[in-house]
This record gives sequence, C-alpha cells and structure tokens, in this order.
Amino acid sequence: MTTVVMDALTDACQPITAPGSDPELVAALVAWAVRPRRTLEAVRRVLAAGPAPDTDSHGARLRSHVLPQLDPDDLRAARAPVEQWRRHGCRVAIVGDPGYPARLGDGWPHTDGPVLLVSLGVLATSVPTVAVVGSRSATSYGIGIAAWLAEAAGAAGAHVLSGGAVGIDAAAHRAALGTRGGTSVVLGCGHDIAYPRGHARPGGLFDAVRAQGGALLSEQFPQVPPRAGVVRARNRIVAGLADVVVVVEGSSRSGALLTATTASDRGRPVLAVPGDVRAPGSVAPNRLLAEGGHPCTEPQDLLDALGTSRSDPGGDPDTDRPLSVLPASVHAALAAAWPRALSVDLLLERAGLGAGAVLSALTRAQVAGEVVEGPDGLVLCRKPGGADTPRESGRHGS
Amino acid sequence: MGRALAIVRGVALLGLSPREVRVEATSSPGLPVLRLVGLPDAAVREAGDRVRAAITRHGLRWPGERLVVNLAPADLPKVGSAFDLPLAVAVLAATGQVPVEVAAGCWACGELGLDGSVRPVAGQLPLVAGAGQLGAQRLLVPAAAAAEAALVSGPELLPVADLGEVVELLTGRRRPRHVAPLTVRSTAPGPDLAELRGQPLARRAVELAAVGGHHLLLSGPPGCGKSMLADRLPGILPELSTDQALEVAALHSVASLRSPDQPLERRPPLRAPQQVVSAAALVGGGSGVPRPGEVSLAHHGVLVLDELLEIPRPVLDALRQPLERGEVVLTRSRARVSYPARVLLVAATNPCPCGFLGDPRRSCTCRPDRVERYRARLSGPLLDRLDLQVSLRPLDHRDLLDAPTGEPSAVVADRVAAARQLATERSGPGALNRDAPTPQLRRRTDASALTGLAGALQRVGGSARAFDRTLRVARTIADLAGDEIIRGAHVEEAVAYRLPAIRGAA
Ligand SMILES: [Zn+2]
Repeated sequence: MTTVVMDALTDACQPITAPGSDPELVAALVAWAVRPRRTLEAVRRVLAAGPAPDTDSHGARLRSHVLPQLDPDDLRAARAPVEQWRRHGCRVAIVGDPGYPARLGDGWPHTDGPVLLVSLGVLATSVPTVAVVGSRSATSYGIGIAAWLAEAAGAAGAHVLSGGAVGIDAAAHRAALGTRGGTSVVLGCGHDIAYPRGHARPGGLFDAVRAQGGALLSEQFPQVPPRAGVVRARNRIVAGLADVVVVVEGSSRSGALLTATTASDRGRPVLAVPGDVRAPGSVAPNRLLAEGGHPCTEPQDLLDALGTSRSDPGGDPDTDRPLSVLPASVHAALAAAWPRALSVDLLLERAGLGAGAVLSALTRAQVAGEVVEGPDGLVLCRKPGGADTPRESGRHGS
Repeated sequence: MGRALAIVRGVALLGLSPREVRVEATSSPGLPVLRLVGLPDAAVREAGDRVRAAITRHGLRWPGERLVVNLAPADLPKVGSAFDLPLAVAVLAATGQVPVEVAAGCWACGELGLDGSVRPVAGQLPLVAGAGQLGAQRLLVPAAAAAEAALVSGPELLPVADLGEVVELLTGRRRPRHVAPLTVRSTAPGPDLAELRGQPLARRAVELAAVGGHHLLLSGPPGCGKSMLADRLPGILPELSTDQALEVAALHSVASLRSPDQPLERRPPLRAPQQVVSAAALVGGGSGVPRPGEVSLAHHGVLVLDELLEIPRPVLDALRQPLERGEVVLTRSRARVSYPARVLLVAATNPCPCGFLGDPRRSCTCRPDRVERYRARLSGPLLDRLDLQVSLRPLDHRDLLDAPTGEPSAVVADRVAAARQLATERSGPGALNRDAPTPQLRRRTDASALTGLAGALQRVGGSARAFDRTLRVARTIADLAGDEIIRGAHVEEAVAYRLPAIRGAA
C-alpha cells in the first residue's frame, strides 16, 4: 500500500527533481516536511548531533532517517506542493547533490544549509558570487551605493545575489541586470507567493531576473508566507551562497546583520559601507566595521575581496559581444552558413574536427545561448559580425 | 512380473531455469488403462496416447494391466511433449522391459512419434543444459539433437533414434554411439560500415552504443540509412563468449527458432520485428508457460524497433521493465517465469508524420501542432532511456560524392573492444557502462563536470533520471578516449545526444 503511493509520488517528483538528485528521496523529504510539526531543519540538527557519518553520502543518511517514519497520509499530503512546484517549473535539489550549490552545502550537516533548495532557473555556480544586502527602508545614499557596487561587480563577471526585497536588495538586483555576471534572488517565502507584490507582478523585477538567465531560489514550500522567521532564515542561504557579503544599510535589528554574521562564521569576507553616524540605517554597517569588517568605500574594495580584477573585461573590448565558446573552424562554418542552418553532419565535415570535439563545443554553445538547434540543423543565435567572418569561403550548396 | 515402482527423471523449464520432474510408473491388476496424475497439461495428457502407440507399433509390449504414471512434483507446470521419452522409459521399466535400476539412473527429454521415433522438442537445448545443472549422470536425448547436447558439459549422453534403441541401450545390448559436439561458428562477415558514406554523427553514436550498450534513437526521413546503420551494429560488437552464445541459442531453441543441427553462433543476435502489435510478441507471453518475446530473442544482441511512434503505447510501456532490469518477468497463474533480456535497443522514427521534416529535398506537409503531438508520444520514461539520440539527414547527391568512404567495421570493432576492456577492468567481465553504478561513476568524474552537467541538463529541460544516464554515456566517451576520469568535454558531448529530442518534445 505504502509502496504504491510512494511510487506514485516518486513519479510525480520526476519533473521537479533537479538533475543529479533522486526523485524518490525528494518525494520522501517533501512528504516528511509537509506536516507543520516536522521540519527538515530538525532533521539536519539530528544528523549533525549524531555520530560522525560512516558514509559520505548525505542522501543515504537522510533516507534512513526520514523514510521509515512516513505514513500514507504524509505521502498523499505531499502531492499538493509537488504539483504546485511542477506548475511553476521549479526544480528541487537535495543537499550534497550535483544540482545543489556546493558552496551552500559545504560542511553540511554541521553548517545550516537547507536540505532542499527549490529553484526556478539555474544559479550560476562557476563564477564568483557577491551578496549585496541591506535594509528595506533604504536612503537614497544607500540605494545609490548598492547600485554602484552591484553594477561594477556584475560588469567584472561576478554574480550578484540578494533577497529580492524592496530597498537595497532591489537596487542591487536592478543594477546587475544585463551585466556579464547577472543576478539571482533568494526568496523569503514560497515560490507561488507574490511577494513583494511589485517585484512579483508580470514584467516586474523577478521576471526581469528570469529573462536575463538568473534564478529564483527558496527553501520554502509553496504557500509559505514571508513571516519574519522565514525571512531571517533566508538570509543564511544568501550568506551560504556568497563568496563575499557587503552590507550597505541596516538598522540594529536588520536581517543584513544576520547575513553578515553567518558569512563570517563560514569564513567568508564581510564588507560594510560606512554610513552617516546620525542615521538609523547606519547602525548595522558601522557596528560591523567596529567588529572588524572591512570598509567598502568603492567598487574596487569589493572586487579586491572577490579576488576579481576589474580590468578583466571578459569580452571583445571593441564590441560588447561575448567571445565565442566555439572552436574557430566550427564558428567559421556556422557563420558562413548564416542565416541558414547547418546540419551536424555537414558541420562535422566542414569543421574538420572529430565528432566528440564538435558535439561538446555545441553543447557549451547551446547552454551559453550562442547556438540553437532547429529541425533543419544548427544556427548561430546572432548575426556573425566583423571582418573575421569569411563571407564566401566554405559556402556550399545552391 | 511388474509391481516395481519405476522412476525416470525429466526436466521442466520455468523460463530458462530447469526443475527436476520425477516420472514414476507402476502397474497393478485391472483394466489396461493409463492414468496420468500430477497436473499434466493437454499436451502431456496426449503423451499417454503417443507413448502407447509408439510402444505397440515398435513391437514392444503394452501391459494388460492398469498403469499409473505420476509426474512429480505436482505443483510444477509441465507442458509440451518433452515428457514423452521419460514417460515411455518409465512404462518400459514398470513392465520389466528395461531394468528398473538402470532406468532410475537416467534422465530423458524428447518427443515420440507414433512410429516410435525419438525427436527433439522446442527448448531441447535448455532442457539438456538443465538436466546437466540438476546433476544428471546419464541422459537420453534424441539422436538428432545429440551434437547440440554435446556442447553442454555434464551428463553422459545416450543418443537414441527410436524406442528400440532405448531398450537396446538400457539392457546393455548396445553401446552408446560417440557424439561430436556442434561446431561453434566464428562471426561470418555481415554488412560492413565501409558501405556507408557520410553520416559522421550517426556513426559516432553507433560506436558509443556498441561500447557502452546505450540505447539509441535514430530519427530521420525514410531512406536516410537508419536500418542500414542498425544492421551493422552486431558487426562491431564483440563476439559472444561460448556461454553467452549458448544462452542465446537456448532462448532461440525455446522459441523454435533454431534447429538442433545448426552451428552455435557467436555473432550477437539482431532482431528487427516488423510491425510490433502486441506486448506478448515484444516481451513474451502466451498461454501455458510463456514464450520468450523479441526482447529476449535479442538477448546479448540488438533489438531494432522501426517506426517507434507507430507502436501502440501500452506495447512500448511493456518494454520499460526489461530495459531497466535486463530480464522479463512474466507472471502466470501457475508460474512466475523469467527470461533474460539484456539488449541494446535501436529505435528508429520519422521526424514527423509525413517523414520529411528537415529534409532539404522535400518539404514537410504536416501541420505544426500535429508534429508536436507526434513527438510528444516519444516523451516520458522511454525517451529518457534512449541515451543516444541523433537526427539523420539524407545526403544529397553532391554530398554523397564528396563524403568520405566509411571506416570498415573491423577497425571500429577494434576500438570498441579496447574501450570495453576498460569497463571490464572496473566492473568485471561483460559489464557495460549502461549499468555502471552511480557512486562509481560520480567518484571518477571531475567535480566541475558534475555541476556542469546538472546545470546543462536543467537548462535544456532534462529530467532527474537523465543525470546518471548521461553520466554513463560520458563514461563511455571517456573510455573511448582512454581517459580514466570523466571530464567536462565528455559530459558536454554526452549532453549533446539528448538535446535534439528534448527540444523536439518540449
Ligand atoms: Zn512532415
């Protein structure tokens, strides 16, 4: 009886499970945590308090802890959140799995990364990440500084992370939109809760983040509202994902302080922007500075902490077109055919490279959005430009 | 006169696994009737009539007494005519025409003709092999199947052409004839990859399939060479070992697809059923003890399903379990039977209902929504299991002239064998990357390649199940490159074999 229900739930979890995670374990963990009295955080604490693991697999430990305690009612109750995530297009990754950011899962269960991370879109994990955080009731000074820092970080290729709230968060996200590094949001509520309403409405900030390839992340189940505790818990995820945290403005009770403390517990650099000593929004950054945080007075301070040099433009300096990820001969063959598509077979023959090399490059190019594949073959997404593209040579066909 | 309990042993098959059947006969005063007990099916009940006709026609004596024959254990399903021979020997022993103690040391399987001749039955090879596994010391076999039986080491063979020979052998009036085992045929040359021009992408995919055993989806318009490629796949697979060849022959024997005088074939089987309409034909079934289906007949070889999307969905769904587990389990009221089914599946499909989508020579006449619906039929669990998905395009004449001549199968087969050797070193003989265990895979993967794979699959909409399957293909790509570690480029190439169909189905 239970196995039949479990199998059905596992099947339902297939489309929402991040690549590299086990749908059955996702099903079990959702069924566990769908009951209000049981939390995944409690499971983490139990595992952290227990003896040192004899296996390095988080999945096995979670499985053995959670699976035996499930009953058919849990499994049935889990259908609703799973279905909502599916409708939204969310993917759920389990801590320790390849689809779960390694930075955030570092040291788990002794660090407090969430067991499940629900994402809409894919978080860039291979680039340096900076969290720009601060209060909702920001001053124009704070908003201006946040935008200045975020834009510079994004232009240098760093990914800008924040909590999606109004004020400092929003200023940072907006400034990083369209930069090379891009931006992602860690929500303080379930994915289906439109909060803050202005950011969540169609065409709002969150849509813009998604459209630019950024991700919306949350550890919360659908329909969990942005309660104070939930919002504060979100801050530890922001801290866990970031290489560097910079606090722009915040009061003495600001969540930004919590983000900063968590980050420094994890050994990540924390920067603070000095504020007007008369303003309530300066309490948090000034206290951090007093306690040994690094002052951030210009973008270079942030970039130095990231170890990223601003002088790395990452693209062709003359145009703002990013460099091709394709080998030259593959790019040349595609450019010669443009705007017509080229079949993989013809591409293989014209590029003069082995199938393996060309196919792996094509995957890279498709993930990077440089090339798309249609029914009649591959085509460059953008008009190949410049004098580097031979217009006639290699052009076959009628 | 009589009264002794005569025992001869026979074999019943559950799938390919043998069970001992004791055929016990005794005579007692009464009307001269034969009573068979022990749940024999219709064919076995007819055996009584055949045995009686054969014994009397052969000048042997049928007793003027009541005969009771029991086939034990009673709960084992016993079907077919293979019990004719043990039944006849038991009757001959119970009536004192052969010594009871000699009969008791014998096993027998074979069918009787009304004239007393002894003939092979369907499944003769696994029956003989089964008797050996069950510890038979002396085995009566039809003379026509003796050379085949000699392939199986174990029992001393007593080949018999008719019942007269049975009596002469068991009474010691004649010595058993010598039997030379069947020849084992090394691979005869089949169609060669050198005959195919162009199609470098599909050739690469076919080579990867041969190395790792990954299932293949070939999509393309009619006449682009899908079946030509599939037909050449067995020619680049390693030859079967003798044990594997015997297992394949046993399955074909059960399905009456081989005669016992055929040499043992080392070339992996290729099955390409036309118009698969029923699950029973594909995975096995039928009344009584189920027959192996195409997926088992292609065991250790290649199963080609052309026009995949024309096959009814329930029939395709029946394929999930065998592809996942490498065997078919068929449950019947009387028995649970399993047949091995480790196949490399090659599925072929048109890109759209009319077949010409993407064809530069002819234009597709399908409405876009019909194309989407057509492709949507491919989505889901089966699609996830087709790890190598490639689109083939017809080469136009000019390309065909330009295209280089293909590499011969023998060259490709050498590379395949070398790459397979690496899987063997990791996981033992016969291990395929298709079945590689997840922890082993991930341990030997570059960390950034792992996260890169998760990200790439998520961006292209791949499922969670696709992750490990893609990693297995990457393992094969690394093996072909002679690399111990799965690296980013291997993973990226493996993802490329998932992209087209995922996008098509989206
Ligand atoms: Zn069409």
